[in-house]
Amino acid sequence: MRGKFNKSSLIGWQFVLLPSALILLFSFYPMIQSFILSFESGKGNVSHFVGLGNYTRLFSDPMFLQALFNTLLYLVIQVPIMLILGLVIAHLLNSPKLKLKGFYRTAIFLPCVTALVSYSILFKSMFAVDGIFNQMLLNLHIINEPVAWLLDPVWARVVIILAITWRWTGYNMIFYLSAMQNVDPSVYEAASIDGASKFRQFVSITIPMLKPIILFTAIISTNGTLQLFDEVVNITNGGPGNSTMTISQYIYNLSFVYTPNFGYAATVSYAIVVIVAVLAVLQLKVGGEKK
Amino acid sequence: MKKALTILLLTALMTGLLAACGSSKNEANNSTDSGNQKVVAWAWDPSFNGKALKIAEEIFKKENPGFELEVIDMAKADLEQKLNTNLAAGVTDGLPDIILVNDPNIQKYVNSYPGTFTDFTDSVDFTQFSQYKVDALTIDEKVYGIPFDIGVTGMFYRTDLLAEAGYTAEDLENITWDQYIEIGKVVKEKTGKFMSTINPNDEAWTSILLQSGGSWYITPENKGNFVNNPVMTETLRLYKAIADSGIAKPVTGWSEFVGSFNAGDVATVVSGVWQIASIMDAADQKGLWAVAPTPRLDIEGGVNASNEGGSSWFVLEKSANKDLAKEFLGATIGGSSEFYERFLTEAGGVGSYIPSFSSEAYQQTSEFFGNQAIYADFTEWSTQVPGITLGMYTQEAKDALKNELPNILNGADLTKSLASIQKLFEQQVQ
Repeated sequence: MRGKFNKSSLIGWQFVLLPSALILLFSFYPMIQSFILSFESGKGNVSHFVGLGNYTRLFSDPMFLQALFNTLLYLVIQVPIMLILGLVIAHLLNSPKLKLKGFYRTAIFLPCVTALVSYSILFKSMFAVDGIFNQMLLNLHIINEPVAWLLDPVWARVVIILAITWRWTGYNMIFYLSAMQNVDPSVYEAASIDGASKFRQFVSITIPMLKPIILFTAIISTNGTLQLFDEVVNITNGGPGNSTMTISQYIYNLSFVYTPNFGYAATVSYAIVVIVAVLAVLQLKVGGEKK
Repeated sequence: MKKALTILLLTALMTGLLAACGSSKNEANNSTDSGNQKVVAWAWDPSFNGKALKIAEEIFKKENPGFELEVIDMAKADLEQKLNTNLAAGVTDGLPDIILVNDPNIQKYVNSYPGTFTDFTDSVDFTQFSQYKVDALTIDEKVYGIPFDIGVTGMFYRTDLLAEAGYTAEDLENITWDQYIEIGKVVKEKTGKFMSTINPNDEAWTSILLQSGGSWYITPENKGNFVNNPVMTETLRLYKAIADSGIAKPVTGWSEFVGSFNAGDVATVVSGVWQIASIMDAADQKGLWAVAPTPRLDIEGGVNASNEGGSSWFVLEKSANKDLAKEFLGATIGGSSEFYERFLTEAGGVGSYIPSFSSEAYQQTSEFFGNQAIYADFTEWSTQVPGITLGMYTQEAKDALKNELPNILNGADLTKSLASIQKLFEQQVQ
């Protein structure tokens, strides 16, 4: 019996051996290496050990704090809007009475298969001073002269939030939609008989049933937002000033735009790791199953 | 038995994988060793920089028929990223022999990766080049590359619009920026067109103003040059004055910038000589353009000439074909008038090689620019551009400035703003 167990387990190990080795080599090794790198500072190849120097620098670095503020701002505003919007759309599309379901689902999902860079450039041109958005507002007499959306710190952030919401809402919606289809219709039927309104059913049945999925989308969206890069680089390139710059863009700048300081860039990357971990734990605590 | 076989297979697979990683390196070495007449170069913009290399190759081949050049084209950002990661990892096998470097990056690369780039000090006669280009390449009295194209600036203007506003060519000769603003106000009033564009996200304008006053964002010692720098103070005062005067159309990016003059929305464009190609894209504006000298800062040392952009060629010290690459660049881009004449005629590129300036190619007139000998004008201005040291932290300094620019435009106290820019910059480069 014991021998048999060993043999089957050995076969199992053989299956995971190669992938494990590759993960160790290409994923864990760089992680450890970059952690070690985060204790070094300097320019390019000329770097030296600075201990916790980079970590103390982090807290007094106005550029990093600005990038952190921007990123958290996107997170706090954009993620809830997107998730609620995704839920509502999924709920509407789940209605048995709706015609042309397939068309709507495809149309709403489509943004998230477009290329990051091309949709960013599209948004940039839409919100240009001569862009279609200003033209529209001018024609509707809502504004008297074109607004320089991307040259105003507040509006530029609004445009970024709009862009990511446009791209990712459909993605989250698909998760909700598939989860909703797993909810037994008889539950709603029973609720209807008991006199619960549609809204009440949505709040008291759909959302609680979808809790694990909502938690999952909240964590991946948080993760995604903290790594936001393409949109900001392509739409505003961090400007005006540095008011839309994200942490990822800052890491890129530190490594490739400025005089390269790979050690400090690694430190900033580890700041993201810590923030993602803390937020994920918080979300699990708030939204997770009670044991 | 079975177990042994599986383990064997797995090991074989693993070693095969690892060997594959290793062998590609060897192949690369072999190919460069055997083709000892072949040089590889990395550059962005095939129709400009790539074209220049092709012209140089043709010229070099006349004497060296066996010579072969491979130009690998990639986007500028990709090239810089690739170079940085390779050098930081200490891997030089994947790198080319010749690489194009944007001038503000020169010191950064040489200082960040010591011993990586070849010293050209004694192999080229640098007195034949505009001094400010050579200055940019000189670090600790060694010259690390071959000067290539320049970005000497001028004020491109629409003759028809300025005539409508009541100005002649003489009125635009050697003016100050304050005069420029005044002219702009009249142009706006009489023609409804903007005088220029403005983009707070783009530091081209501040760079042009600073260099025309012989100053830069950082000192030659790589310290912030914001506080107690009269050129910087004047530059930012003018920047705000231009923004406040309403003569500049706000744009958010390069394509909008180019679009604004191609569509005829602005009366002038103050930009580098390489802008000629974009201006000529609007074929319907043929004959309506002319070029005047860049406006100047009304302070001591301010001149009517400046520079925007430009790049140089580097050779990697560890390249297998270092000597051949050096010889090739030295004989063409580093010392051939023929090269610069063809570069101008075929790609519209202006170099800083003084002997070529007297050639026929540089005296040609342009129908698009109302038969003005524009290249002769630009090259004359290029000799007046004040030499500056670009240092190694230009980008950090520009970003620190950009961070404060919205406050400056909103009327914050300039002295305080400059102090906070300086502080931010110092924190960035610690």
